[in-house]
Amino acid sequence: MSNGADILQNKRWSMIFRQHPLLEKILNNLLILVGSIFVLSIIVFVFARLSPGDPLLAFYGDALEFMGPAELDAARARLGLDGPIYIQYIHWLANAATGNFGLSLQYKIPAMDVISPLIVNTLILGITGYILVFTLAILVAIGCALHEDGLFDRIACQLGTMIYFIPAFWLGLCLVLIFSINLNWLPSSGAYDFGMSGNLVNRIEHLILPLTIMIGSHIWYYAYMIRNKLLDENRKDYVLLAKAKGLSKSEIIWKHSLRNVAPTIINLMAISIPHVLSGTAIAEAVFNYPGIGNMAVIAAKYHDYNLLMLLVLISGSIVIIASIVAYSINEVVDPRMKDTGVTVWEK
Amino acid sequence: MDVLLHLENLSLSFDTPEGEVQAVRGVDLTVKKGEILAIVGESGCGKTVMCQSVMKLLPGNARIASGKIIVDGTDITNYSEKEMRSLRGTTFSMIFQDPMATLNPTMPIGKQITEAIHQHRNVSNDEAKSRALELLELIGIEDPVHRYDLQPHFFSGGMRQRCVLAIALASNPKIIFADEPTTALDVTVQAKMLNLLLEIRDKTGVAIVFVSHDLGVVARIADRVAVMYAGKIVEIGTVEEIFYDPRHPYTWGLMQALPSLAKDGQPLKSIPGMPPVLLKPPKGDAFAERNEYAMKIDYELMPPMFQITPTHNAATWLLDERAPKIQSPFCLNQENKNQ
Repeated sequence: MSNGADILQNKRWSMIFRQHPLLEKILNNLLILVGSIFVLSIIVFVFARLSPGDPLLAFYGDALEFMGPAELDAARARLGLDGPIYIQYIHWLANAATGNFGLSLQYKIPAMDVISPLIVNTLILGITGYILVFTLAILVAIGCALHEDGLFDRIACQLGTMIYFIPAFWLGLCLVLIFSINLNWLPSSGAYDFGMSGNLVNRIEHLILPLTIMIGSHIWYYAYMIRNKLLDENRKDYVLLAKAKGLSKSEIIWKHSLRNVAPTIINLMAISIPHVLSGTAIAEAVFNYPGIGNMAVIAAKYHDYNLLMLLVLISGSIVIIASIVAYSINEVVDPRMKDTGVTVWEK
Repeated sequence: MDVLLHLENLSLSFDTPEGEVQAVRGVDLTVKKGEILAIVGESGCGKTVMCQSVMKLLPGNARIASGKIIVDGTDITNYSEKEMRSLRGTTFSMIFQDPMATLNPTMPIGKQITEAIHQHRNVSNDEAKSRALELLELIGIEDPVHRYDLQPHFFSGGMRQRCVLAIALASNPKIIFADEPTTALDVTVQAKMLNLLLEIRDKTGVAIVFVSHDLGVVARIADRVAVMYAGKIVEIGTVEEIFYDPRHPYTWGLMQALPSLAKDGQPLKSIPGMPPVLLKPPKGDAFAERNEYAMKIDYELMPPMFQITPTHNAATWLLDERAPKIQSPFCLNQENKNQ
């Protein structure tokens, strides 16, 4: 009936599944997650090694020029960069399974240690930005749908189109120039000032500018999509019936249309996670914010394979988990998507 | 009988990039308490637009060009959106053609009905629920207590149309606009729906404006019939007058095009041509182009309403005393009456 049950064809297990469909669902999703991560890791592993450039350069820097061929081969063997790709991959996989993701070639410490202090910073920036982008996008969309072709709608759409096409890094530099250099209101880089990592106000001050460019470059696209979805919905017959009941425009949007576009919004939110994640990378690069997005760019640049693999696995897991969660939420919001199996009238 | 709704020379236009589309052109119409008035005509002749204009449900580019809408003696032509909202549901409500699309797919049926009840009356949730169950009972949904919490996708088309009717009836409206309520249903369900509408009318005394292009359905349900063509009412009368003594050539054409009334062995007649585009309606009678009895005056001057009996009016120059006398090509005799 499903992957989970197929693989564990044990009678006892199938009994448990029949009694706990939720357990089966979780197991299924877990298998999907592991399978996708496995495929993803192969793809990234192969592509990273196919791209031109020498990872030893990251490890040895300029010293590479003074090394003989024998030394180079020895270095490769030591770092696990010798032999055919599939052998390298099996080695990597065997190590990764035990939680050992190898050394960062550039920083010469375990890749996990390079990333762990950065993850929190990125999560703070990413999650706050993500929530703000979508909250504001939905509000702007509702405002536009309420005043279709009105002043607010037109300004939001046209201003949005203009801002959307301004490159985020350029906008970031302008903001730094205005708010950090000229007005000296806000810090221009970092996640917090030295020794103040626990200071909330200091962290928020450092977040304002990166968040501004993340919101500014993402919100319009989503607001416009949600606005159009809402307007499509408003042309449907059930909205006419709601209107004929005597409901007002805003009541119709809040009570009827919004709920029916909710699956679209949730899907949009799920598939936009990589988009917003890449947005943190730009914000991190412009504001020199210590996060994994910035680190991923550096890792790719220096062929820091182990670090890159770990970063891809982390962001890949986030994307896949997000889409699984989005699908589960959709089932709750739109009951038509649920596979009920039996009808309600069955005895 | 009391006049509930009176349309006085109502004209309605849509402003489009191509120009002004005159969808309704000078309609005079009355709806009396508890009657069923059918409005028939081809697609695009303005039936739906006329009904929606009374409830002001039309999109923003529609505007009332002239005329008045009088409901229960009050002129509502210039009512604001807020004032209209208090009338929607209580004075008039509407049911639509496609029952699959008119219910919110994600909201339980019961909630969609109670929402309509709460909108106009300050009642507790329990009272609203018992009223909703009463309504579901009234429209013939079996086992309403179970079905109250189900979403529309558990219902068949006929059941959904009944639920839409329950919503329309929720706040005891005086008029229901039924916009082709049976078109999307199959024939057996259609018959049940018509019986239900008649039953509801008898029980609640609500007037029904029944928009349709199906003359068979109209003959069965209507008290009076208005025939619309190109945004105008061309003939209006009681159902007997329209079916047994039609006077307008367009009505003749419609009747002759009915397959059930066609003579054996002869090809089915149809009205040649297309209805005019209402961007620039013709100067004279809009039907003249397609009318085999058209006279020169039909191309020059719009015909006024000629009275045939106090209840029967038709707008065609053929009724003028100077026009040649033409025998109706269509005759519904007593044999056909039982069909």
